[in-house]
Amino acid sequence: MPLKTKIKILRVDLTSGALDVEIFPERLYRLYPGGKALAGYFLLKEMPAHTDPFSPQSLLILASGLMTGSPISTTTRYVVAGRSPLTGAVGCSEAGGYWGPALKQAGFEAVIITGRAEQPVYIWIQDDQVEIRPAEHLWGLTTAEVEEMIREELGDPKVRVLQTGIAGENRVRFAGLTNDLRHFNARNGMGAVMGSKNLKAVAVRGSQRYDEIADDKEGLRALARKLARQVRENPLSWELQHRGTPGLVEPLNAGGMLPTRNFRQGAFEHAADVSWEVYEKELLTSRRTCFACAVRCKREVLVDGKPSRYGGPEYETIASFSSNCGVSDIKAMAKANELCNAYMLDSVSTGNIIAFAMECFENGVIGLADTDGIELKFGNAEAMLQMIEKIAHRDGFGDLLAEGSKRAAEQIGGDAMQYAQQVKGQELAMHEPRAKHNVAMGYAITEIGADHLVVAHDTAFTSRDALPFKSAQALGIKNPQPARSLSDEKMEQFLILESWNNFQNTVGYCFFGPAPRSFIPVEDVVESINLASGWDLTVENLLEIGERTTNLFRVFNYREGFTSKDDDLPQRFFTPLEEGALAGEAIDRDTFLAARAKLYQLKGWDPVTGVPTRERLEALSLGWAADMLDTSQEDVK
Amino acid sequence: MQLHIGGYLSFYMPGKQTRFDLGLEKPTPLKEILQCLDVPLGEVQLVIHNQSIVNLQDAVIRDQDMVKIYSSVDGG
Repeated sequence: MPLKTKIKILRVDLTSGALDVEIFPERLYRLYPGGKALAGYFLLKEMPAHTDPFSPQSLLILASGLMTGSPISTTTRYVVAGRSPLTGAVGCSEAGGYWGPALKQAGFEAVIITGRAEQPVYIWIQDDQVEIRPAEHLWGLTTAEVEEMIREELGDPKVRVLQTGIAGENRVRFAGLTNDLRHFNARNGMGAVMGSKNLKAVAVRGSQRYDEIADDKEGLRALARKLARQVRENPLSWELQHRGTPGLVEPLNAGGMLPTRNFRQGAFEHAADVSWEVYEKELLTSRRTCFACAVRCKREVLVDGKPSRYGGPEYETIASFSSNCGVSDIKAMAKANELCNAYMLDSVSTGNIIAFAMECFENGVIGLADTDGIELKFGNAEAMLQMIEKIAHRDGFGDLLAEGSKRAAEQIGGDAMQYAQQVKGQELAMHEPRAKHNVAMGYAITEIGADHLVVAHDTAFTSRDALPFKSAQALGIKNPQPARSLSDEKMEQFLILESWNNFQNTVGYCFFGPAPRSFIPVEDVVESINLASGWDLTVENLLEIGERTTNLFRVFNYREGFTSKDDDLPQRFFTPLEEGALAGEAIDRDTFLAARAKLYQLKGWDPVTGVPTRERLEALSLGWAADMLDTSQEDVK
Repeated sequence: MQLHIGGYLSFYMPGKQTRFDLGLEKPTPLKEILQCLDVPLGEVQLVIHNQSIVNLQDAVIRDQDMVKIYSSVDGG
């Protein structure tokens, strides 16, 4: 049965000011149903290899997915994609909130932006009316100021504003985007790409209800009501609602897997000072949510004793600025979060890079003469906050750190590179790879650089009685596995869970909705897709959508010259972890390399080079992408 | 003993309680204590007994001890 609506793509050329709308054929949409897959399709088809991410020719793609904006809780996500200025690889970052559903309500699936405006501008989309408006008066302002001014000049407080910040204007390589000041496309430096185009924001307001485009609106509504009730009945989603991601600090620390002092240690002696209980007592003011989501995992907090306009820190930010920088002051951590959001820096990379600089400083690789006189020692909260300001404004030593830890280490020289905890140039998320080996493999091989949402985490699948394991059986996960193992069966699990997550990132589901991470059973996810589209897909079809997405991104990276050498971990993780319950644990390098070869093979890739085979690409309906494998890799990064 | 119920395990507790102060007259297997509280044992993934990781099946608790239990921990 065909879709009830046409898939409309808005094209914006900022150089000429040209606006165009095209219809994306449904036969292709079935293969690339939005989000990450749709972005991968256009990046490969339309952006020549080796395009400078900051050149006018580079593409910036904003894409919602098939389910984005539906009444099902957690279907709020959209992606921002391009070539990452941080890694040189494909760049893609997802976020929830309200902007993706608003784009859908305006009738668009995606916006493809090229060119560079002569002066700063923003794009205003109101249903089918699109306008490029001047934004010189918004340049150099904080994200809160910009959102307020755009809403004021458009005369509508419900306009949804997706924007980059001062960091993006300054092309900080890990600048992100925010919508509603609380939801972030943080990773991969997509905000810097936006800034390089002199594009400050994309404001959206739409009037089309999802009901009008769903194949079976009554069925979808009934499923949405059932699932909304289950949020409070499922322990996993109940915990997300009750504590949110800040609740992860304590169990990860207890289990010896809380990244501490630039990933040297697995436990933080002051973890109790930044735990959920202290967060709730010292910072929390209220809870919030994303569009139509019953989980309500977002937090509002006090910063400097006043309600912050930017939302509360998530686990990743807490660990990045507290344990990983050795800072025990929860209020300083909350301030660091606010600064990152006001300037729109990726808090994961920012905290990591400061931790990198702290370790360089403590080991004498850099000194006060390099750091503008700042005593960059672990635990120095004031120095941490000063460095955030310097990075966002590319001031002094901050200008070097704004390049990311890999480039900074190359410039500093000496032993600096051993302190840069990054893969493909992107800093690791706040999960200790020596404790979770599938996460370690995900850090190593994922196309966008080290990221923690590639696979569901190993620790959820170690017991047959664990709720995530039980629900993952519907995906084909057969047996519980030790968290610290890289067995062949673990690699089979990896492939399934990676495909499942990439499917979610394609159609617009949040990581905190579907099983195994949360409360929506796999069969209900499948049903929701079919109720929305009128298609008749199975779970195998959904996994294939995810796998196709992985392969699109893989071919993109191949074209840019990435090889299996780039699918590796920093040396630190092959050496013993210090402190905590897992002290002494290390990843065995030979085992890691053998597992990586096995995983390549399972994916239908060459087990040595990690390049997708033509056979596998054709099986995924990507024969056109297989033709790109003939492209020479001589002209590499 | 002091018992801390971590992760999503407190979902199963009356009032979603996370902390219990329990009096023990004699050393008692942790399994028995948790069964009395209706904690689903199969979902206990990590046990910290006086700051050391221990096996749920073997742990024996005394009155002055501190125990923390956690469910499986995922990412996010």
